[in-house]
Amino acid sequence: MTYFIAQILPYITVTVFVLGVVYRLWRWAASRIVHNITLSPFPQTKTEVAGIYLREILLFRNVFNFDRPLWVGAWPMHIALLNVIGGHVVGFYFLGKQFVYLGASEALSKYLSNLLGTVFGIILLAGLLYLLYRRIAIDKVRQVSNPSDYLMLLLLISIVSIGNFMRLVPEYGMHYEPVKEYFTTLILFQPAAIPEGNPFFIIHLLLAQILIMILPFSKLMHLFGMFGMRWIENRVYKEPAPGLPNVDVAAARARGTGLSSASSTDVA
Amino acid sequence: MPEYKGLKMPAKASAEEMRQIHIEPVPDDQKVEMAIQYLDEMRKKFRSFVLAMESCVKCGLCAENCHTYLGTRDPNNIPTNRAELIRKIYRRYFTLEGRWFGKLVGAEDLNLDIIEQWYSYFYQCNECRRCAHVCPFGIDTCEVTMIGRQILHWLGIVPKLHASVGAAMERTGNHTGLTKPAIVDTLEFLSEEIKDEFGVDVEFPVDKEGADIMYVPSSADFLLNPYTLMGAGMFFTYIGANWTIPSTITEAGNFGLLFDQQHTMRHNFTRLLHAAQKLGVKKIVWGECGHGWRAWKMYLPGMADLPLRWPITHIHDEVAYYIRTNQLKLDPYKLGRPVTLHDPCNYVRACGLAETMRTVIRACVADFREMYPNKENNFCCGGGSAILFDDPEMYQLRIKFSQKKAEQVRATGVGKDGNGILCAPCSICKAQLYPMVEEHELGVEVKGLIDLVGMALVWK
Repeated sequence: MTYFIAQILPYITVTVFVLGVVYRLWRWAASRIVHNITLSPFPQTKTEVAGIYLREILLFRNVFNFDRPLWVGAWPMHIALLNVIGGHVVGFYFLGKQFVYLGASEALSKYLSNLLGTVFGIILLAGLLYLLYRRIAIDKVRQVSNPSDYLMLLLLISIVSIGNFMRLVPEYGMHYEPVKEYFTTLILFQPAAIPEGNPFFIIHLLLAQILIMILPFSKLMHLFGMFGMRWIENRVYKEPAPGLPNVDVAAARARGTGLSSASSTDVA
Repeated sequence: MPEYKGLKMPAKASAEEMRQIHIEPVPDDQKVEMAIQYLDEMRKKFRSFVLAMESCVKCGLCAENCHTYLGTRDPNNIPTNRAELIRKIYRRYFTLEGRWFGKLVGAEDLNLDIIEQWYSYFYQCNECRRCAHVCPFGIDTCEVTMIGRQILHWLGIVPKLHASVGAAMERTGNHTGLTKPAIVDTLEFLSEEIKDEFGVDVEFPVDKEGADIMYVPSSADFLLNPYTLMGAGMFFTYIGANWTIPSTITEAGNFGLLFDQQHTMRHNFTRLLHAAQKLGVKKIVWGECGHGWRAWKMYLPGMADLPLRWPITHIHDEVAYYIRTNQLKLDPYKLGRPVTLHDPCNYVRACGLAETMRTVIRACVADFREMYPNKENNFCCGGGSAILFDDPEMYQLRIKFSQKKAEQVRATGVGKDGNGILCAPCSICKAQLYPMVEEHELGVEVKGLIDLVGMALVWK
């Protein structure tokens, strides 16, 4: 089983993920933008359009403005998720010494890497639990939820909980080096067995792979969908020039159009 | 008032009425099959629809940002749930996860009950696009409503109101069935009214060949909102324009946008282009109509099938231009009443008129008070997309849908002394708000924006 999860499944996961995402994006691309449904006020330049994208992606501005209680959970959760995913890549690749490139000592870098991982892991878990709470306890959110919405949160919570557990309980912790070695062998298509028999790591790995495989067939595609939707709705639109043909207001007022003294055939 | 398993729904057009708008109603036993086929067609065409189907995360943000949910607390009036009525069918038939996991991912077989639910809830949507504006991803539930209504139309299910308006438009070129003699007659009457009330001579030229400007008013202005038409007439006379009103399309609205964005909408577009060609005009100016302006401004260029020969602008744009260039003399103190502005959804979220309207209203009104939220954040009046049904139960819904608007108007305090004005420069907003300001006892009178321009013009 461990052999399957660690040495075979990863290749299936990547294949399903890539094909799945391509399939979904192809479906989107195959349909067209039929009507101009740009939201106003209209951006006047591409820079303004980019500004809208950025403020929504980086700050979740709409969530902040229109549903503050959601923002309190959703924004930190996503920022933590981004850092945790980035941390996995960078941390394992540089073995925790990534901050050396920013001028830190090796010991400090490892310390920072650990600290940030722990902090973001906890923020992520707290954010997810908060979102789950909303889905269960708040009427309007419960009313829009499908079973899969809860399952998706539970899956994420499981992955993150196990990750946090490994980080916080040293006996079950994983060191950077063996994990890096394992992933290196995976990438070289000569998958080696997982070095230690750490059941938490195996479950963490399994659940993460399940998540990655589900992603293209789930609402997690909002990661790409938001770009697709904004691409339709936030575009440059230039207004046609105002001003009416053959109109000279000063002359009309001098003639006194509309006033009884003026001739009724006052239009030129 | 048809009853169907407790669903609230407006009276449906009869089979004969459907045939008048070129649709042969689909028999009940084929409805499900045909609906799936039409849905398949739609999803292959409209990316805005596909993305609304496939990328919603159900965060629930839209719920309290939709006035229909705020007014009714009906879970199916939460925008994402309104979309879910189609989304569950879409998942079932057009996605792998829906085919494999069914109910677990919220997929469901289509049946007649669900089609009736579509009819009920897609005609409880005002298509105001506040949900698109507030959604973190910009998912536009209005697009889903529009596609739902399109499929219903093809199945032969359209409210009596919309079908009869569609038929009247085709027969006469306007929604209220005005013939040319009636149009000329009404306009002569309005000239007299202007003379009596404002002491100026205004002529309304109809079908004047060789005019420079073609003004397309809302046909409701002839009957319900005369001051809007009078205001436009006074504006054009004031600036000495060579203008005309076409009798073949005396309609700023386009119900095609609301129930059939294919045949009906295109038919109306063609009608306009013919009229402009025949009269040899140089520019087309649009009257006060929210959904109509969206259709003609944003949809016409893509559906005309040719590069447009005539620039089309909104009368607010033109008035604002002459105000900005200091060519109009307006006296904001003439009115002497407090005014607040209701931003029609289509103007502020689809057509970019928010600042334009303010330029105009500030020049015409001394005591102008903003309501909040406003501009693109504004709430709909509750009549959007012409769900102006008079069936008693639907009328109750209209009162609920306008609840948020009533709160907003009250907060401005313009109705405190009972002499306030609620400026709502859109025919549907006006039609909705005339009775609603009474229902909610707001102490305000509903007026258009051009009405206020006409009243503020200084002629000497």
